[in-house]
Amino acid sequence: MESNKKYWKGLEELNQTPAFVEGSKGEFAESIPVEDVLNEAGLSTKTPRRDFLKALGFGLGAVTLAACNRTPIHKAVPYVIKPEEITPGIPNFYASSFNGQSVIVRTREGRPISLEANPNAVGLNQGTDASTSASVLDLYDMSKLQAPQIGGKDVSWAQLDKAVVDALNKAQAAGKQITIVSDTVNSPSTLAAIAALAAKYPATQHVQVDAVSYSGIIEANRASFGKAVIPSYHFDNAQVVVSVAADFLGSWLAGEEHTQDYIKNRDHKSLKGGKMSRHIQFESGLSMTGSNADVRAAIKPSEEGAVLIGLYNAITGSSIAGGTTNAKATTILKLAAAELVKARGAAVVVAGSNDINTQVLVNAINSALGAYGSIIDLDNYSKQYQGSDAAFQQFLTAAKAGQVGVAFFLNSNPVYNYFKAEDAKAAIAKVDYTVSFADRADETASELKAIAPNCTFLEAWGDASAKEGLFTIIQPTINPVFNTRQAEQSLLTWAGVNKSIHDFVKETWETTILAGTGKAWKDVLQQGFVYKGSTTGSAYASNADVNAAAAAIVNDSKRVSGGVELKLYESTTLRDGRYANNAYLQELPDPVSKVTWDNYAAINPVDAEELGVKETGKVTVEANGYKVDLPVILQPGQARGTVSVAVGYGRTKVGKAGNEVGVNAYPFASLVNGTIQLSAKATVSKASGIYELAQTQTHHTIEGRNIVRETSFAKYLKDPNSESGRFADTHQTYDLWNKFEQPGHRWVMAIDLNACTGCGSCIVACNVENNIPVVGRDEVRRRREMHWLRIDRYYTLENGEASLTKEKEIAKADGMDYESVTVVHQPMLCQHCEHAPCETVCPVLATVHSSEGLNHMAYNRCFGTRYCANNCPYKVRRFNWFNYWNDSRFDNYLNNEFTQLVLNPDVTTRSRGVMEKCSMCIQRIQAGKLQAKIENRKVKDGDIKMACQAACSANAIIFGDANDPESEVSKALRNERVYYVLEEINVQPNIGYMTKVRNTFEA
Amino acid sequence: MSSHNESILREPLITGKDITYAQITDDILLPVENKPNKAWWIGFTVAALGAMLWVVSVGYTFWTGIGAWGLNKTVGWAWDITDFVWWVGIGHAGTLISAVLLLFRQNWRNSINRSAEAMTIFAVICAATYVVAHMGRPWLAYWIFPLPNQFGSLWVNFNSPLVWDAFAISTYFTVSLVFWYCGLLPDIATVRDRATGLKQRIYSILSFGWNGSVKTWQRFEIVSLILAGISTPLVLSVHTIVSMDFATSVIPGWHTTIFPPYFVAGAIFSGFAMVQTLLLILRKVMNFENYITMFHIESMNKIIMVTGSIVGIAYLTELFIAWYSGSEYEMYAFANRVAGPYAWAYWAMMTCNVISPQLFWFKKIRTSIPISWVLSIIVNIGMWFERFVIIVTSLHRDYLPSSWAMFYPTWVDVGIFVGSIGLFFTLFLLFLRFLPGIAIAEVKLLLKSASLQQKTKLVQEGAFPEDQVEYFRNSLEKYDTVTEEDIKALRKK
Repeated sequence: MESNKKYWKGLEELNQTPAFVEGSKGEFAESIPVEDVLNEAGLSTKTPRRDFLKALGFGLGAVTLAACNRTPIHKAVPYVIKPEEITPGIPNFYASSFNGQSVIVRTREGRPISLEANPNAVGLNQGTDASTSASVLDLYDMSKLQAPQIGGKDVSWAQLDKAVVDALNKAQAAGKQITIVSDTVNSPSTLAAIAALAAKYPATQHVQVDAVSYSGIIEANRASFGKAVIPSYHFDNAQVVVSVAADFLGSWLAGEEHTQDYIKNRDHKSLKGGKMSRHIQFESGLSMTGSNADVRAAIKPSEEGAVLIGLYNAITGSSIAGGTTNAKATTILKLAAAELVKARGAAVVVAGSNDINTQVLVNAINSALGAYGSIIDLDNYSKQYQGSDAAFQQFLTAAKAGQVGVAFFLNSNPVYNYFKAEDAKAAIAKVDYTVSFADRADETASELKAIAPNCTFLEAWGDASAKEGLFTIIQPTINPVFNTRQAEQSLLTWAGVNKSIHDFVKETWETTILAGTGKAWKDVLQQGFVYKGSTTGSAYASNADVNAAAAAIVNDSKRVSGGVELKLYESTTLRDGRYANNAYLQELPDPVSKVTWDNYAAINPVDAEELGVKETGKVTVEANGYKVDLPVILQPGQARGTVSVAVGYGRTKVGKAGNEVGVNAYPFASLVNGTIQLSAKATVSKASGIYELAQTQTHHTIEGRNIVRETSFAKYLKDPNSESGRFADTHQTYDLWNKFEQPGHRWVMAIDLNACTGCGSCIVACNVENNIPVVGRDEVRRRREMHWLRIDRYYTLENGEASLTKEKEIAKADGMDYESVTVVHQPMLCQHCEHAPCETVCPVLATVHSSEGLNHMAYNRCFGTRYCANNCPYKVRRFNWFNYWNDSRFDNYLNNEFTQLVLNPDVTTRSRGVMEKCSMCIQRIQAGKLQAKIENRKVKDGDIKMACQAACSANAIIFGDANDPESEVSKALRNERVYYVLEEINVQPNIGYMTKVRNTFEA
Repeated sequence: MSSHNESILREPLITGKDITYAQITDDILLPVENKPNKAWWIGFTVAALGAMLWVVSVGYTFWTGIGAWGLNKTVGWAWDITDFVWWVGIGHAGTLISAVLLLFRQNWRNSINRSAEAMTIFAVICAATYVVAHMGRPWLAYWIFPLPNQFGSLWVNFNSPLVWDAFAISTYFTVSLVFWYCGLLPDIATVRDRATGLKQRIYSILSFGWNGSVKTWQRFEIVSLILAGISTPLVLSVHTIVSMDFATSVIPGWHTTIFPPYFVAGAIFSGFAMVQTLLLILRKVMNFENYITMFHIESMNKIIMVTGSIVGIAYLTELFIAWYSGSEYEMYAFANRVAGPYAWAYWAMMTCNVISPQLFWFKKIRTSIPISWVLSIIVNIGMWFERFVIIVTSLHRDYLPSSWAMFYPTWVDVGIFVGSIGLFFTLFLLFLRFLPGIAIAEVKLLLKSASLQQKTKLVQEGAFPEDQVEYFRNSLEKYDTVTEEDIKALRKK
């Protein structure tokens, strides 16, 4: 039924009053003054309160809406199809090798982030040296070339190939020589690639030359034994080691490998067995090796030969002239000779000289000592340095004569590191076509016609053979980042071999190396190396003319003696200069002087006083016609009348971090008797100006404090507790604090001061693992380096009978020659105190203790009062004064998105204003625990390794669970030598140190 | 307070002839009710420029990071905390004057308490800026307070002296501000009653409806006493807690039980020196000589002398205990203070704080206005060095010599310090311009009891024996505001 009911809303509607009828016409009950508002008059109309509120509401709403802009989005694109081998968050490990050492590269989401020694590898050391740890940064170096270049302009590879092949053909047609100048190449595949080129172009020659040359040793061995090689040294078989100016634990040959062997006779395990070798060092500058010696004598470079002649005379009973040296050294020499003779068969003498005659004499001494075979191995010889100074001279002569048609430079930079750079430049200019394989337009490459940029080892296929019988594989961990091509591939291309480098390397291995080993290519990729060497070397007898050699040595010493004697050396951090753009290495303090970011003239403090030079002063050093101003360092232990300068600095075209750091010292070198010599007669004078070196440590003595405890081996044998001075043994300690249970793990560390040589490779490993920013020279000068782990180095100065450790006593001492000095290295890092002073003072609980005995740091919670750092007795806390890792003012390397890919994603970067410190590699502990959990087992001792520990070839750092009585660390901490630094203030540190034991003569 | 007849032996607290209540009001409100004079403008310009420097320096620090300062891995606090403690210490005199002296009925405080309290507040503001500015991430400064939050179960560490410090400073600031403002109420009402227009409206709001009734005055007195009671422990507690920032640490040279009393004495010492610095200028420039008299100056000098001596004993005790402890680190820390690379700072401290106040044993010196003023500044220089010595020389060479380092300030360090002085004076000069620099109501209380004219009247009436009057006459000689005539008038008529 249709309803016709009508509802009315009010009487007005029912009655249809005129007002209602009028009002119901519009949509709104009241008319809206749109017109009024919109015309100009509207602006001047009086705004009612309601309108005002409406406008306010609208305005607020509109502004709010407009402000609701989304924050910038960084797109993280997930894998559409996930690569089978990559799980985000889980690292992949690849076997590879660096400088011939088998290493494991850790990659995350396809990018290499760190590398460690291959734990299963044999043949070389079990740790990594500083440059190996740091090498991962070179992949992310922004200073590298991104494409091939001809004449400084980017070209395509096809264009480059055409130009090079044309040049090669032209040279061949003209009958000119084709030369590949490289540093030592021991890679079978590279050599095969060179051979392939030589097959196509028979005029091809391969010249190997090393910036820091060892050709003197090679030539000496040729003379003595008819075998032109550098032997391997097994210091673990030596009970007495005498080194004459050889930094054999640092930069001399295979320092890291030597360290590992050498420490085996000196660390806590050896001491437990009542054995310790004796190490006697004769040298002019205080090297890292010298700082570890039991007995050290300061001699001038010109006295090196005399010391060796003296040793030879004393050992063989001969009386060759010229064996006299300074009085102190003579005393030590006699004792040393007696020791050597006593330990015949387990005694060795090494010398750092590159002089053939000197090395011939050394060979004769070692031959007399019976060192060949067990200690010096000429059968499983080293192939790390094969450079020949003579071959390079021949190349220069040929080039100057216009006989060279094409020259390739592979890892070779003579314009920088040849002592006569202008000579090298002139020779290069005479070559018709020149190509460099350098990854950057370095000093030499920028002089050449073309650059065919090489890949880093992390992007390449390859191999190495650091020792006879040892072969290691290099496999890529990432595709070439830039438009680069590895040198071997380039050589193959130019040789017309149409093969990928992968196939080529595989074929080289399968046909030569793997033959007869029963191993397949896949095994090599998994294991990383093949070792075919024999276990021991055989004995050799020297048959060179010692008398003639000695006469030549005496004659040559006159070249250096008289006046101030200059000694060049390779620093253990920056080595020969090839790593100069690696910021990690630039900021790694020198093990002895603790200087970063510079080289310097090291002179004896007494000489400095005579010159009128103070710290921050400068001197002018002039030798071999080269003159340069250097900042000075007053180096205790430096022989009087000598000055030491490191090579490897003063690069000009290496990149942002390394350019103009220090002064190039290579021009001080000279070519004598066919080999490069690093000592020279010099004049040193005071220069004007001041220069503050960036040192990480500026106070050098322990002020008589017992933070480093040391004893002598004789005392140790009588009482292993000798000098360990444990506070708890003699004092009652009281505790204000609640004892917390640590039922699961208790992570602790033991550090053997006898094993630590102070090399600092742990520091770099820690930097890489924990994303510790490099802060640069200025910030180090302000004492703001960020290293979580540092190595404290203290001097004790010997003055007659007295050992002085206090600065004031030293200043007062009469007749101090500053030559006799003993050194101790103490790694210092967060001690993870059970009663941590930092924890109680943090107002916001940003640093707290874990139930596993660790002192945690919650970066997010830290607001930077720095009270914790002030209250840390060990001063191991580091504050982010600026946003170091991403600030254009500290653009050493990391201030770009590309280099930031090197950061370890397991460790957060710290922002400005936040405190940080050693976390005991908490990410590694967590990973280890997680792995154990996945495998449903307990964490085993050795599962988890700290980054510093893994890098240490000397095994000076032992980490583990103190709740496991059988763990290595528990055993180590039960050692009688263990003490805790500053234990008397009862902070209960979790890191035990073992007393330093010196095998001195006196005791 | 009461207007009983005071002993003639007591020196007058108000000098001048024919002073009336109205005259007091006129005199004190002169700077408030008139356009500032040239001296004020010059002072204000200099101070404001200083404050600008502060803004620039602190702004630069916030923008770039604490790295703008000279701090390093070893010395994590230097000028920042030195300045902080220095300013907190300066604040202490105000509280002591307003609270402790009130409880002990020391009427002479009535003329100086207002400025001293204002000084306290401004000094604490300056100090508080360092609490925030020295942080690595100052935008998170509020984390120092136990605020309920959604970061999880994050809370503050009640073991940390820095948390106690935050409570101490905030309590101190709050109580001082309330105390100061309550005291201001009757005076603001006075300004209100004499003002017109907008000024009257503003002061009317600020006066919280003060009506001057007996009940109001009664409540005012009670509130003052209660606040004095609350403030009194603060005089001891605030600097005790500040000292615990150091004393509870393990650093040799900081870890010392003598710190609380030593810091409190030092704080009062420096506070009075600052009051002296300010008031000697103030009484001259603002013509307050009749209200801030030589008696006030001499009394404050005596306090400076006593607290300076206490501080001196504390220094010597520290040296003795360092030796007596047998702890090599402790011994070295103090040997290093005395003869190390910062020995100049130590000896500057010793000279300024221990030797210079001893000059006040001589009456001539402690009643000499120029010497008092110079010494008051020397004392504050010395007290700055005291904190610098404690903080920097203890930190720069602590346990492991490998980490020993020197501290060198940057321009920002200097800028913030000089700037904070500018900020302080800017605030103080604005205070003098807009609020009465002397407590009008409280000074008026003294007029009928402790003023020279009242005493003269009583002497003329023969209320005192002649020997006492003679003593009184002699005591007036040091007054710079008392003329020969005034003294001659002190005769029985």
